Amino acid sequence: MSRSEDVLLMVSHVRHKKVEGTLFLMGERLAWSANSAGERLGVSHNYADIRSQKISPEGKAKIQLQLVLHTGDTCNFHFNNPEGNPEQLKDRDAVKELLQQLLPRFKSQVNKELEEKNRLLQEDPQLFQLYKDLVVSGVITAEEFWTNRAQTKQSNAPKGSQDIGVSASFLADIRPQSDGCNGIKYNLTADIIASIFKTYPAVKKTHAENVPHNLSEKEFWTRFFQSHYFHRDRINHGKDLFSDCAKNDEKDLHKIIQDKVKDSFLDLESLDETSLVKDEGYGNKSADTSTAPKHSVNQAIIRRFNYHSTMVLEACRNKRSSEEDILSLGLGGSGDNSNSSVWSQSLALGPPSKKARLRDAISYEDLGESTATSAPPLSLTGADRYLQGPSAIQQGEYTTSQDIHRATQQVKQEIGGYQADLPNVLPSSLAASVTAELSPGGVLMQAGMQQSLKELIPKDLQDELHSLYAALAELLRHFWQCFPVTTPALEEKVVRMRETLRRFQTTKMQPFQDKLRSQHLPTNLTDHLTEMINNAERKFSTWSKKRGGRP
Amino acid sequence: MVTWQNNMAEGEENLLVVIIDCNPVWWGRRQQQAAEPAQIVLSHCLDAIQVFVNSYLMLSHKNRVAVIASHTSKTHFLYPKNMADPRLDQRRGEDGRYEQFATVDDTVVEEIKQFMTSDTTSRELKTDTLLAGSLAVALCYVHRLEKEYQAGQQLNSRVLVIKAAEDSPSQYMNLMNVIFTAQKQNVVIDACILDKESGLLQQASDITGGIYLKIPQMSGLLQYLLWVFLPDLTMREVMALPPKVQVDYRAACFCHRTLIDIGYVCSVCLSIFCSFSPICSTCETAFKLAKPPMFKSKKKKRSLQNGGPSTSLL
Repeated sequence: MSRSEDVLLMVSHVRHKKVEGTLFLMGERLAWSANSAGERLGVSHNYADIRSQKISPEGKAKIQLQLVLHTGDTCNFHFNNPEGNPEQLKDRDAVKELLQQLLPRFKSQVNKELEEKNRLLQEDPQLFQLYKDLVVSGVITAEEFWTNRAQTKQSNAPKGSQDIGVSASFLADIRPQSDGCNGIKYNLTADIIASIFKTYPAVKKTHAENVPHNLSEKEFWTRFFQSHYFHRDRINHGKDLFSDCAKNDEKDLHKIIQDKVKDSFLDLESLDETSLVKDEGYGNKSADTSTAPKHSVNQAIIRRFNYHSTMVLEACRNKRSSEEDILSLGLGGSGDNSNSSVWSQSLALGPPSKKARLRDAISYEDLGESTATSAPPLSLTGADRYLQGPSAIQQGEYTTSQDIHRATQQVKQEIGGYQADLPNVLPSSLAASVTAELSPGGVLMQAGMQQSLKELIPKDLQDELHSLYAALAELLRHFWQCFPVTTPALEEKVVRMRETLRRFQTTKMQPFQDKLRSQHLPTNLTDHLTEMINNAERKFSTWSKKRGGRP
Repeated sequence: MVTWQNNMAEGEENLLVVIIDCNPVWWGRRQQQAAEPAQIVLSHCLDAIQVFVNSYLMLSHKNRVAVIASHTSKTHFLYPKNMADPRLDQRRGEDGRYEQFATVDDTVVEEIKQFMTSDTTSRELKTDTLLAGSLAVALCYVHRLEKEYQAGQQLNSRVLVIKAAEDSPSQYMNLMNVIFTAQKQNVVIDACILDKESGLLQQASDITGGIYLKIPQMSGLLQYLLWVFLPDLTMREVMALPPKVQVDYRAACFCHRTLIDIGYVCSVCLSIFCSFSPICSTCETAFKLAKPPMFKSKKKKRSLQNGGPSTSLL
């Protein structure tokens, strides 16, 4: 067994179920064993099984820690250090903190599957209905249900997790609340702290250096907010913890300004002609703004805004440590493996890559010439087969040429003497009978009169029929998938599925049919369902007969 | 209360093209059986059509109409005529009829007389009506009229086919082409069938969105026309008309030309057969059907288990 049994923490004088013992926190599990040699009481829980931990509230005499498992069971540990309450508190807090760090690591693994299943069920109400019908009523087991869904599950799983980007306004979101008596309260969440660290790596460095050696978290952040580093007007006081940070920021800012924009397509300054055209006495050399007085407060603020935006963008661009970003910005393609440097390397190549980029931007492969490879030509014999329609269903009457002549002569005669007699074209009785035919209920209108099933059967019965169909289709799919039966596992499954189908018929279909009958509705709605079940039964019986000869 | 838009105010005009099946063989035979009261003769049919056309023209000033006669050997426009006839102008005001009615009716009567009694009909011995040709001529007329309209004015056109004789299978392809063209041009094809059901016109009306009606009483033709085919397209949605029929869209197999539900289709040339043959007769491709693998493995299993000659499967 290669479990990591390194003991991270050991706490003695822990009572569990009224028995004294020692609590061990290992690499992957939490264990407790009784002190007395006589009782072999031992408890062990994997971190993966523990859903959450609870502590008894402050002020209570008993110092307790409770573990809640995924299954709902609870496990109580009573810290009973004879040295008194503060020691007990210390013990319990140590355990609690360690657990707090370890649990999230293991939590994600197991929960993900359950969460995935729950999510699937919630998203697809039909699936949920199917699940309810089949698994909850005991027609099929949950594993079988999920094994067939496994393919769809995996394809739907999100491809890798995405990092949440940094919101540019995170600093503004820390709205200070006035405490009433001249104090200001800042609410810091873990997200904000993470954003600050991602955006300002210098702060992260300072934090790493000072906490927890010199300052506590609280003190660090208090100092942070108090320092003028954070304030709008950065007047350098010198003694501050963050004066280093301020200096570094200024340095970075200058560096960023000095470096030209890497991408020559985005560099606006390179479009400036003064770089090409030397000052020919026309005075078109722009004033050098880099030596502008830094003491202008507005300039400083604007500069800080720009710097902040740059840092936010940098934080989002590269998922790896942002220190590399700053390095790569300063060194510009020194060959380290971060994404930005690869990009800048390709840009530094100059004309060939530029051309390639231009070409990509202006050409679309749809608009270009199609490079379809010619397929072998289709050689057809008798292509006129496609052009004929179906032959006449009834054999045409054979007419002799004599008939034709006679007929045409008659028509000619008739039309020759044709006088239009429009007022007498339609006698009223005939008109009335035709009207009767065409009115609703008449001979010609019969087809539209039949009440569709949709209107005849109430909605809830329709829904039930729908879910019956879905459930039966699922069961039949399992059943028919077993054929051809090659392994003994499939044989068992076939037998089991047949039982399931029988059970389905009695538990689900019979009540539905009775309901239909009680409402005097035609029961041939379920004919198709019964036919499918009968087909399956027949197949099973033929198969078992064939197999009957074998041992 | 259902409301619909009267499109007359918006520069839309309606065009109705009536195609009359004047198959002399069929009508001649009918005449021989004219003793029965339910049968009609061609002149009666023409009367009914004239009244119908007049009613149609009466609905709106902007309605236009054309009448085409379809024969075994040719198609002819009964109205409007090719050339302007000066005699028509003289007849204005002779009787109390509305002038446009007079024009249409008289033109139709004259033209049909001339058409049916002309000589050429005696030489050919065909018995099929040139329905595909007439429909094509009608579509060309519609197309030509549409061209005369400027942008903003629209022409809603429909074709009413009054069919007497049976379908002719030799015109199948042409007819299908015409039908799809009509669909593309947004021309609705209605069909009023006098005698035997016509599968092709069922398809035509289904594809273009028209009405197909086989009338039980031929002598009441006018009433059917006025009831079902007179209202224009927008009105049809609010009227209780005979319901649509089930159209038989089955394909015909290439070997026997019978309609089949389930068949075999060659994946190379898409020809349809009713029975399996290892070689497709149109494209000479050879096909193999895989043998079911089950029996082989079962036999192997058995011989392994029994250790002796395998017992035969039932």
